[in-house]
Amino acid sequence: MDKTVIFAVAGSGKTTHIINQLTLEKRALIITYTNNNYDNLRRKIIGKWGYFPATIKLVNYYSFLYSFCYRPFLASKHSTKGINWKSNTNFFARGDRRYIDNFGRLYSNRIAKFVVENNILQDIIPRFSKYFDVLYIDEVQDFAGHDFNFLRDISQTDIDMLFVGDFYQHTFDTSRDGKVNNSLHDDFRKYLGTFREAGFAIDSATLSKSYRCSPTLCQFISDQIGIEIQSHRTDSTLITFVNNTAEAQDIFNDNQIVKLFYQEHYKYGCFSKNWGDCKGEDQYNNVCVILNKTVLESYNSGRLKTLVPQTRNKFYVACSRARQNLYFVPYTFLSTIAQKCE
Amino acid sequence: MKHIQKIKLKNFRRFKSFEVTFDKTLNMLIGDNEAGKSSILNAIDLVLSASRSKTETIGLESLFNHEVVEEFLNSSKRYKDLPELFIEIYLSEQNNPDLNGKNNSDNIICDGLFMKCSPIDELSKEIKEILSQEEPCFPFEYYSITFKTFSDQSVTGYSKFLKHISIDNAHISNEYATREYIKNMYSSYALDTEKNKHKNEYRKHKEAFKRSALTDLNSRFDGYAFGIRNNSKANLETDLTLTEADINIENKGKGRQCFIKTEFALNRSSGKIDVILLEEPENHLSHVNMKKIVGKILDAGEKQLFITTHNSLISSRLDLRKAILINSNSTNVSRLNFLSEDTAKFFMKAPDNNVNEFILSKKVILVEGDAEFILLESFFKKVTTRDPHYFDIHIISIGGTSFKRYLELAKTLNVKTAVIRDNDGDYQKNCVERYSEYASDLIKIFGDSDNNRSTFEICLYLENQTLCEELFAVSRRTLSVQDYMLHNKADVAFDLLDKKESSLHVPQYIKNAIEWIKQ
Repeated sequence: MDKTVIFAVAGSGKTTHIINQLTLEKRALIITYTNNNYDNLRRKIIGKWGYFPATIKLVNYYSFLYSFCYRPFLASKHSTKGINWKSNTNFFARGDRRYIDNFGRLYSNRIAKFVVENNILQDIIPRFSKYFDVLYIDEVQDFAGHDFNFLRDISQTDIDMLFVGDFYQHTFDTSRDGKVNNSLHDDFRKYLGTFREAGFAIDSATLSKSYRCSPTLCQFISDQIGIEIQSHRTDSTLITFVNNTAEAQDIFNDNQIVKLFYQEHYKYGCFSKNWGDCKGEDQYNNVCVILNKTVLESYNSGRLKTLVPQTRNKFYVACSRARQNLYFVPYTFLSTIAQKCE
Repeated sequence: MKHIQKIKLKNFRRFKSFEVTFDKTLNMLIGDNEAGKSSILNAIDLVLSASRSKTETIGLESLFNHEVVEEFLNSSKRYKDLPELFIEIYLSEQNNPDLNGKNNSDNIICDGLFMKCSPIDELSKEIKEILSQEEPCFPFEYYSITFKTFSDQSVTGYSKFLKHISIDNAHISNEYATREYIKNMYSSYALDTEKNKHKNEYRKHKEAFKRSALTDLNSRFDGYAFGIRNNSKANLETDLTLTEADINIENKGKGRQCFIKTEFALNRSSGKIDVILLEEPENHLSHVNMKKIVGKILDAGEKQLFITTHNSLISSRLDLRKAILINSNSTNVSRLNFLSEDTAKFFMKAPDNNVNEFILSKKVILVEGDAEFILLESFFKKVTTRDPHYFDIHIISIGGTSFKRYLELAKTLNVKTAVIRDNDGDYQKNCVERYSEYASDLIKIFGDSDNNRSTFEICLYLENQTLCEELFAVSRRTLSVQDYMLHNKADVAFDLLDKKESSLHVPQYIKNAIEWIKQ
């Protein structure tokens, strides 16, 4: 069985790579995490054949976990009713109370654990090979907590597997639960090691060059943020640090330029998104990244590399959205250029 | 091929708990009235239709097992003891993860569908209040009806996993049933693309009719116009009908309606139908048409058939090994699949017979021919002073000496069977040795042990010599009375019954048979 995990860089064509592997001869299960990627994959699959082939099943992770793994075996046993997206706050819970809330909903971050606890892994694993020939997992870097353990368990399944992800685009976790795998993403080399142990070949070459980002941008990301990325392109683009109110105002009002905020973008009343939420998006030409206090300081002192990984990764995601020009606007302008709605 | 492997019922109609496995091509449900044959077909239909409104139309009250409801109402009526109803349908491998899972009462990983009626927990407080009233009614209104797959996916009429059609020849003139039938047949014959096109064209034609034919009328007034209805109650599906030689099926005789519906559904080109439920196909059909239908059923192709029948011709001609016998007194089923191929084929080829009557009986007296049959009931009354029906004993004439075929059935089904036969001049050989493999506590052969008394008529004559001489001396010309009786068996028997019944003596071996079977 061919089991490979490809580590890619932003804009290197992860989705396209998966689409290229798909054939009608092999029954494929594609699991993705973000809604953006789900939509991208769906659009490109329909683009490839003109319709959505019945041999391909595209699911988002929770629907996979709940509908494909949990419900077939445990629904009538526990008569649960849906998912609770928050964590269990009752630390003294015992037995099934650790997994199921008072309304009979499963805590999302513990479904994987619950499945394992109920000893149905041996039922789930054959289910893959029975219905599918290849398993694709997109955004594999976001598997965390119990979900990462579960991923390792199901990778025992005897079918071809291709996982793709970008270690540095790890901006949120599928689930977090106390100490479970909490240092998983601290060290890239250790992270790779866990995949090797599970029998995966590691491929860091195939998708190491970006189609989306220009050499200029790639060099900035490599040198300043410290994340290695190369470009397929040869042209150069602009990276501008905006330092006057008038220009900041122009950019702010320009609805062709998306404004990317660290958080709470909706409060500023402009064409905007949060850094973390634009992962998987590919439709922006010019991008404006608003630098918050922490990032602005690191930027000014040339120490972006030392940002905490979570922030650094999100910043990398934001910058790498740009096909063309990238603008940095310091948060200090916001009080004058934006009508903040609280 | 998609087929149903097993059905499991809980608190459904007369079955508190019931399960039966099915053959992948043909299943004949045979049983008394009220045995539950139709309930099984009905259960399959409900689950495969996955229609809540269909279920509600029948009503939970009539679907629920009455005993269970009674028991609950006579108990301490606690919420947690409220009974549930389910129908589970276990399917063959369908290669569809949406069907596959462990959500079934067998707790096995399998493809399948189920319907479940259970009290709604969210309403438990209200239910509790109702139950605490004096003389409460059973809270059917607080039950939910769910249709799901074994993987816990909801099933709707749109997400059908198996295509089925149900034909109930017992209620053929029901307008609703006919419309449902036509709708189902249309949707299984017509291609999806065709269907949309038909609907669209139909609507266009209605528009065109309004624009052309109604124009003159409509031009006579301002602001208002007559139009043609087009909604859920008036569309292609509601207006479709089935015709044969341009005559609407509804305008045909009932027999022909039954025949057309059955034949059309069985047609090989209706390949999209996986399951056919056929209720009493013999209804309204002449003997000849019944034989034709049997032929069609045998040639139905890749479909799974479920047939209820009271008719021996249908069951024996179709292959008795596919019969599922349902008993009205218990919920056990018996089947004939262990029947030897030889015997099954014998019944397919043998003259029309009473095999259904035989297999549904507890006690049977088998006789060779018409003469014995005509007189036996009278003999029985002489010996026991009552009718055989009083003891649930059936008398069946098999028209020959192929007793072994019936005895094989009797052995499988534990039917207590007395065989009355002639010794044909060799009691030891014809009445003992020949049946040694069948003789048991439940199967006994009765014949006269005197080899000289070789036939029924000889025994009868010797037993009632004066009486026979008196009765038949006149009609014969050259034959002796005994020979005359041997040559005119059935007539003689009838004359004896008609004229001399009260003074007839019963031959000893027949007396023995009657005494034994009634025990």
